[in-house]
Formats: sequence, structure tokens, C-alpha cells
Amino acid sequence: MTERRWSAEEERYRAPAWLDRVQRRALLLGVFAALLSVVGALLSPEHFFRAYLVGFLFWIGIPLGLFGISMLQHMTGGGWGLVARRVFEAASRTLPFLALLFLPLLWGRRSLYVWARPEVVAESELLQHKQPYLNEPFFLGRALLYFGVWLLFALLLSRWSLQQDRSNDPHLHRRMQILSSLGLVAYMLTASFASFDWLMSLDPAWFSSLFGIHFVVGHGAAAFAFLIVWMRRLSGTEPMADVVAPRHFDDYGKFLLAFVLLWAYVSFSQFLIIWSGNLPEEITWYVHRQEGGWWWLGIVVFALHFVLPFFLLLSPALRREPARLALVALPVLVGRWLDLHWQAVPSLELHAPLLHWLDIAVLVAIGGLWLAAFLWQLKRRALVPIHDPHLQEALADA
Amino acid sequence: MADGSASVTPAAPTPLIAPGHTTASVTDKIASVVLQRTPRWFYPAFGAAFLLLMLFLYAVTVLLVRGTGVWGLNVPVAWGFAIINFVWWIGIGHAGTLISAILLLLRQEWRTSINRFAEAMTLFAVACAGLFPILHLGRPWLMYWLFPYPNTMSLWPQFRSPLVWDVFAVSTYALVSLMFWYVGLIPDLATLRDRSRHWFARTFYGVMAMGWRGSSAHWHNYEKAYILLAGLATPLVISVHSVVSFDFAVGVIPGWHATIFPPYFVAGAIFAGFAMVVTLAIPLRAVFGLHDFITARHLRNMAKIMLATGLIVAYGYVMELFFAWYSGNPFEQFMVINRITGPYRTAWFALILCNVLVTQLLWFPKVRRSVIGMWIVAMFINVGMWLERFIIVVTSLHRDFLPSSWGMYSGTFWDWAVLIGSIGLFLSLMFLFIRFLPMISIFEIRTILPKRSRGEVS
Repeated sequence: MTERRWSAEEERYRAPAWLDRVQRRALLLGVFAALLSVVGALLSPEHFFRAYLVGFLFWIGIPLGLFGISMLQHMTGGGWGLVARRVFEAASRTLPFLALLFLPLLWGRRSLYVWARPEVVAESELLQHKQPYLNEPFFLGRALLYFGVWLLFALLLSRWSLQQDRSNDPHLHRRMQILSSLGLVAYMLTASFASFDWLMSLDPAWFSSLFGIHFVVGHGAAAFAFLIVWMRRLSGTEPMADVVAPRHFDDYGKFLLAFVLLWAYVSFSQFLIIWSGNLPEEITWYVHRQEGGWWWLGIVVFALHFVLPFFLLLSPALRREPARLALVALPVLVGRWLDLHWQAVPSLELHAPLLHWLDIAVLVAIGGLWLAAFLWQLKRRALVPIHDPHLQEALADA
Repeated sequence: MADGSASVTPAAPTPLIAPGHTTASVTDKIASVVLQRTPRWFYPAFGAAFLLLMLFLYAVTVLLVRGTGVWGLNVPVAWGFAIINFVWWIGIGHAGTLISAILLLLRQEWRTSINRFAEAMTLFAVACAGLFPILHLGRPWLMYWLFPYPNTMSLWPQFRSPLVWDVFAVSTYALVSLMFWYVGLIPDLATLRDRSRHWFARTFYGVMAMGWRGSSAHWHNYEKAYILLAGLATPLVISVHSVVSFDFAVGVIPGWHATIFPPYFVAGAIFAGFAMVVTLAIPLRAVFGLHDFITARHLRNMAKIMLATGLIVAYGYVMELFFAWYSGNPFEQFMVINRITGPYRTAWFALILCNVLVTQLLWFPKVRRSVIGMWIVAMFINVGMWLERFIIVVTSLHRDFLPSSWGMYSGTFWDWAVLIGSIGLFLSLMFLFIRFLPMISIFEIRTILPKRSRGEVS
């Protein structure tokens, strides 16, 4: 897209200059960590790939979650989401970039997924049964399909939203609603199957039909936590200082509370059902995660992703105070990352050290690069959808 | 409507309440349903429901005298209609709690017109639901054995069994729903006390209103209690049906042992509940002329919730099918094949038709706007959700691990009599409620009036 002239209205909501600074720093940090990761990959490819998988799943969860929330908001309305729509859209537009970041996983597929190793499959009847689904070409084809669906809906929504800014066409609002309803259905299905492919199939014998919902709910929590942190920073300066009000933060806090509760609910349900059934093909997954340090890591995840945010977010005073709310959101993000790590790594190597230096390096590398891409996209538009029919309501008594 | 609450179409928001109403006209209109003479049609309608209730009493009497053998239960299908009906009824109740508690916390003002009778529906549905497991005990008079109480028989419930959790979940649910409903009724009972002319009605409503005078202190306490009860009821929407799903999922029977069961059951419950609210709301607003309060917008919003929860249920079906294959477990695979091609295949296809295919009609605004269309879709869902529980309970049990112990199951006359009779119990209670209590919350409708007129001025 070529540079175009901004209208005076758009100009009023132009992104502040400090975003450039943050973007440069994120990019520098990302490149530096990426170089470190490359060194690590040469030294120990196995550790690199597992760290990469967890880092990738963590970072893609944020734009995917924000993309899902933006569709939900198009359908249900609400001022909380209107003032954040440009953050949703900028995050959605980073999905092509994440599709590129998926490529290293293809390179490491044999290191990560046992079902991709012919010699293992040849010896396992179960893997042969699952082969029509768990095989390399189909795995790749499905990944293409997932990204294709996400990009289609995300880019179309983002484009119509920009058209709304320029043309003030009243039909666009309705069109975005309809697209969002279809998109949400497609998103639930594709994100679920993506979780089966990328994360659950690390242990190809294990399965849980709740896994997809667990994954999507985790996205939701991470997305709201990220949103809180960013809206807090954006609301510190003009133009967003006049737009985002404490009641919006109150809503974000409630949403985060709802998602950490949902996360605890689905995590516990899955555990309870598998524990009481006690079937060898299912319980092994949890038995592995009860050993040694994994048990303690699981408790840390539970504390960061549920206990701590749950009790703190009950306070209305805290929810209306952006700085304190952001302090609650950060541990949720750490908890989300550790949760993915806890789900992924014991399937690969039980007696692995709990954390490897590469886990952090790769996380920072993908994160720095992604954040730079996100900020680059965020700057390209007015920070508020200026012609949304509900905007005046949302801005009232801000 | 400043924040949070969704206004569906921005250009021309359909009003929550038809224009032209004042505080007085709202009170007159809703209170008159209760205070005027009984309309003629009420007697045959209530009479029909009452006849079904008598059928229920007769069927239960036969059951108690002759034993559970009059039902079609046997090994291998030892959980038949009783459990199906229990899950069906308790699911129907969930819409009431969702409307009254969750939509209140989400500041969805449109709930105001439907919350009262949806809550009543919850109570009556839970009453129907609660009877079935008790009747299923065989010796229902010993039902107190389910509670952990000190006794000389060394009898203690097995706390690892979800059936015991059910006892607590359902009784808590019934209690909280009752309190919520009653607390919400108090200001309206006072209105009726002040408006009724007959000494008996005045005394009756006066006692029920517990001395409500509408002072600001009363309102202050009231608001606090109501929000607190809403907070208490909200987790119950999720927990009750999750516990019901554990009844199945913690076992290792193929088709029952699936981790997706809790959220899938909860979505199914809300789906069924909204279908029942629509089933009741459409005739009620027609016979009492309540179109001004239960507007097209209410029906449309309910249609959207039905579509959303219906899609979650369909997602559950997709996951069931996929994981039966993916698990590599031959029993799970057989269970699915047996559902689709076995002796109960007609029920399975009917279930898919009702819950998945017909529900997709709600995508079309034309269907959502059509009162008849909505009612027909809701009836399909009512039937579909009963069939779903039938499929889950029966197909998993009738052919499990050992072919030598396979068997068939069908309901006997007395099974059907209890099911149809329980609908009579539900409808009788519903008719009495409509006749004696305001089915729409008068004071809450009043609170959304001035805000609306303010909106029109600006």
C-alpha cells in the first residue's frame, strides 16, 4: 500500500512518535536474540527447535487471540473493543509475518514430531493408524489452510475497516459483522486443529477432545493480557489519553478475569476426567508431568495463570488503575508461556532441564521481531476507527 | 446504552420497549395480567396441563407400587429415560440463570423483559429434573441416604462419585435460583399488594412482599443483594451442567469418556434453555398482548444466542467424531459407527437434523424476524436436545465392550407417561405463575424507560 494523504480527522489520531523508538529497540533486541539463537541452533538443534516451537506458539497466540476478539467485538459491539480495534487490526496484519516464522518448524519437523520419522512409524501400529492424518504433506497442507483462512478473514476485515475510515460507508459496519460471524466459526475450527497438529501431536499417542478449546482460551487470556499492557502504554500520551477511559480498563480486567477462570475450568476438567478414567493412553501424559521439576513448574503455571490474577482482578479499584492492572497482566503472559512449555517439552524429553538458555533467547528473538512488525502496522493508521457508527458513544465521558 | 451493552443495528436501533410507554402504563399493563378476572381461555389451557400432571401422578404411583420394573430399564441399559429426562430438564433451566445472572453482569438491558419468566422456568425445570434421579433410585423414600449425615448404618456417600456431586450441585442450584427469583419479585409483589382490591389478594401479596415500602434504604439493600446473588448464580450456570457431564465423562464407557464434555454440555444446556424460552415467550406475548415488552429485538437476540450455542454443540459433535478415530481406540470407533449405522441410527440422524441442520436457518435474518419460523426452530431444538441425551445414554450402554452382553432398550408406556407427565407438571406450574405473579419485572422495565426517552431527546 502506498502512502496516502491522511484526512484531518485521521491526523488527529496519528500514532505518537515514541512508537518509532520502541519499534527500533524491539527490532534491535529481536535481531540480537535471533543471532544468539542461530548460534544455539548450530550448537544444539534439538533444544533450538523445541524452544522455537514454544516461542512461536506463545507469540502467535497473541495476534490470533486479538484477531478472534476483534471478530467477537464486531458482532457484539461495546466501547471497550472499539477503542482497541486498531490494536486488534495491527496484530491481525502481523499474521503473514508469523506464517513466515512458521517455516523453521517445517525444517525441524523430524526433530520435533516422532510421527514424521518413518523408522518410528514403521514400528508402531498406532502411528500407522494415525498416518492418514499425521503425515508430512497433510501437515503442511493443513498449516497452509489455517494460515490461508486466518489471512483471508484478518486482511479483509482490516481492509474494510480502513475503507470505513476513508469513505464513511454505512454498509461496511454490517458487512464486517457478517464476515466476523463466519470468521469466528472458521477460527474456532482452524485454531483447534492447529493445536492438535502443532502441540498435541508432540505426543502422538495422547489425545484430549478439549485440547482445542484449551488452546483457544489460552489465546484469549494472553491476548487480553497483552492488550492491557499496550493500552496502558498508549493511553499514557496523546492521542489515546483522551480516548481510553478507566471504565475501558475495567472491562479489559473483567475479560481477563473471565479468561483465566475459563482457562482454569477447562484445565481442571481435562485433568479430572483423565485422572478418574485412569486409562493408560491418556493418564501417561499427566504422569510424565508429575515427575521431578515438571510438577513444580505446573504449580507455578497454575499460580501465575489462575490464582494470582483471579484474586487480584476481583478488585474493581485495581481494574480501573491501568498501571496496577498491567502488573497483573504481565504474570499471566509469563504463565501462558510456561504453560505452553509445560505442555510441550515433557512430551519430547522427560528428563530435560526445566529451562534451557535457548528457551529464553528464542522467545525474545521471535518476540522482538514480532513486536517490531506489530508496531510498524500500528503506526500505519489512525489509532481509532474514526467513522465507526458507535464511536461517539464509546468516547462519551472518556 | 453508553457502554458494553450491545446495540445490534446502529443505524436504527430497534427499541427495547415499544415507544409511547410511561411508568404508569407499564405498571398497568403488566399488573393487569394478574389482577384482572381470569381470562376464559385460561381454564381449558390450564386444564390440559393439569390433566398431564394427573398422568404424571398416576405414572409415578404405578412406579412406586410396582417398582422400577415398569420402566424399560434393564442390563445393559440401566440408565434410561430417567437420566435422559433429568439432563434434559436441568439443561432447560440454564437459560433462566444465564439471562438473570450473566446478562445482568454484562449489562445487557434487553434481558429485563424476559428474565422473570425465564427464572420461573428455571425453577420449574429444576423441580422436574430433580424428581427423576429420585424416582430412579427405586426406593425414593430413602433418598436422604444420598446426603452425608451421621447415622448408625456406617453409611457414607462415595465422594469420588459425580452422582454425589450432582446432589450438591443441583440442590444448590435450586436454592440459589429460588432466592434469586424471590428477591427479584419483592418490589413487584409490593406493587400488586398496593393495587389489588380483594382483601385476600392484598394479604397474600402483602405477606409475600415482606413489608417492602420502597424506601431508599430498601432499594439500597435490594440492589446489593441482587448483584451478590447474580455473582453467586453465575458460576452455577457453568458448574451444574459440568457436574452433570461428569456423571458420564469420569466413567470409561466409550462415548462418555471425553474431555470435551463439560463445555459441550454447558453450551447444549444454554442452547436448549433458550429454545424453551422462545417456545414459551412467543405464545405468551401473543395471548397477553405483550408485544410492546417482548419485542422483535428480544427474539432476534435469543436467536443469535441459540445459533452461537448451537454451533458450539456442533463443534462438540465434530470433535467426538474426530477423536473417536484419532484415539485409535477400537471401542470408541465402534461406538461412532454404531451410532450412525446401528439400530438407533434414525435417532442419530434426527438429532443431527434438529440440532445442527435446522439451527443453521437462524443465520438468515428472515428466519430471525419471523415469529412462526423462530418458534418452529425452537421446537426442533427442544426435541433435538432430548434426542442428544437419548443418544449419549443409550447408544453407549447398549453395546459396550463385550458383545455377549449387548442389548436393546426402548421406553415403555410408563416411561413415556412420566416424561409427558413431567411436561404437564412444568406447564401447570408455569400457568399458575402467570396467573398469580407478574411475569415481566415491572420495576425493572420502569428503570429502562427514562433512559430511553433521554436517548431520544439527545
